[in-house]
Amino acid sequence: MSLIIAAITNSIKSIFRNKVINFLSLGIIAFTLLIFGIFNYISLNIESFTNKFSRNVEAIFYFHENTDRVLINKLITKVENNILVKNVVYKSENQSETNFLMEFPELKHILAEFKESPFPSSIEIVFKDEYIGTKVNSFISEIEKLSIVESKQVNLDWAEKVNKISRFISFIGIFLSGILIFISTFIIFNVIKINIYYRKEEISIFKLVGATDWYIRIPFIVEGVLLGFFGSIFASLILFFILKIAPVYGKSIIELAKGVINFDIIPSSIFIKLILLGTSIGLFSSFFSIKKFLQK
Amino acid sequence: MIEFYHVFKQYVKNQYAISDISLSIEKGEFIFLTGASGAGKSTFLKLIYKDELPSKGQILIDSTNLNLLQDKKLYQLRRNIGIVFQDFKLLTNRTIYENVAIPLVVRNEKKSIINKMVINALTLVGLTHRRNYLPSHVSGGEQQRVAIARAIVGNPKIIIADEPTGNLDTELSINIIKIFERINANGITILIATHDNNLLKLFPRRVLRLDKGMLISDRPSGGSS
Repeated sequence: MSLIIAAITNSIKSIFRNKVINFLSLGIIAFTLLIFGIFNYISLNIESFTNKFSRNVEAIFYFHENTDRVLINKLITKVENNILVKNVVYKSENQSETNFLMEFPELKHILAEFKESPFPSSIEIVFKDEYIGTKVNSFISEIEKLSIVESKQVNLDWAEKVNKISRFISFIGIFLSGILIFISTFIIFNVIKINIYYRKEEISIFKLVGATDWYIRIPFIVEGVLLGFFGSIFASLILFFILKIAPVYGKSIIELAKGVINFDIIPSSIFIKLILLGTSIGLFSSFFSIKKFLQK
Repeated sequence: MIEFYHVFKQYVKNQYAISDISLSIEKGEFIFLTGASGAGKSTFLKLIYKDELPSKGQILIDSTNLNLLQDKKLYQLRRNIGIVFQDFKLLTNRTIYENVAIPLVVRNEKKSIINKMVINALTLVGLTHRRNYLPSHVSGGEQQRVAIARAIVGNPKIIIADEPTGNLDTELSINIIKIFERINANGITILIATHDNNLLKLFPRRVLRLDKGMLISDRPSGGSS
């Protein structure tokens, strides 16, 4: 325990001894983590926005005139039993006509000219949210190919587009996060390297008077962890203020984003993610740095 | 006890820094290691605290074969050896007290113990009044005494000094060797590398003379050079 306290004390002393380089790197780490945090926040919001859109995917299949009801019932049973399907509703020609008249009563005189309902019978399929994508697509094509089906109307195209956008944003998020994590790792790795060179004489003296390897290594690891930790704390504070202040001072820009981004909710998971990420980056990059530069 | 068995050290091809040295140094001995510059004195000392490994041969310190000593256990050897360097190797940003305390701090000793032992070591070299000074604020002779205090503070079994009087005038050099004699009186083995023949005459101790890496003479204590 006292070894850890000594290591932390030594690390803090070392950070202050090498003030310029350590605080500069702390600033850069905070900045990269802040960008990561902002992007994470935006992508979380976009994700929930796109989720709303991609729900309730529906497909309507219209049948040929005078299609045998037995065949339609068979299809309904088959569809109902499919894992992708939330529910199926059958609409007869007459039901379709009634629905149409309820929506457009002013067109009643046009329909009156028809002896029979001009609307085809149909089934409306609502798919489960978790199965949106290729599986639903192929299921729809499968039904479309049936001889009793005349045509289809699907709102999946829009949902898919929104989903694609969401996936693209996630990909950009991962890509950007990767770059930012790499930058932070690279910075801490090199700061530790500089600190090792700066304290080369001290390290050699420590070794000659009987310091264990870990006694020498731990302060550098702690230094890396502290840089990552405080970098992420600064990033979290700045992010918090941006999200609190932005809606007040940036009204016009915010109005545009309002539909997509919910400024009222700042999820604490973002800050936890940032701090864990920053600390882990500090731990791993300093560990690799001492592995490379603190050999015998 | 330090034992060398046919020890060779080669840095470059066909040139030995240490060539076929076999000897034994008993506990509590006071030994001068002498020879011209480049004779192999520093290499000989570095081999003892395993800063260098022999190219051939075996070195045993208290029956521990240094060839077999793992790097992760090297600290155990080093804690039994106090080293004094010609260039002192003091940390310029730490006070004299802090410099002397380093061997105890790295062992994670309690503050009260560190304080007691550092004051004892500084008293032995006559520098308690300078304990809060930075090394750059004291003379060369005092810096050398700080280095000696740092070497003895951890109660080592062996003290190795590489040209500890190299930068000092005769009077100061004699004082430094007298300090080593006082330390030796406590049963600590002392091994001093020097090229100062005056000291060898003034202090009739065992002298190991090296030339081109070879041990060319081993004068016993009290003998004439």
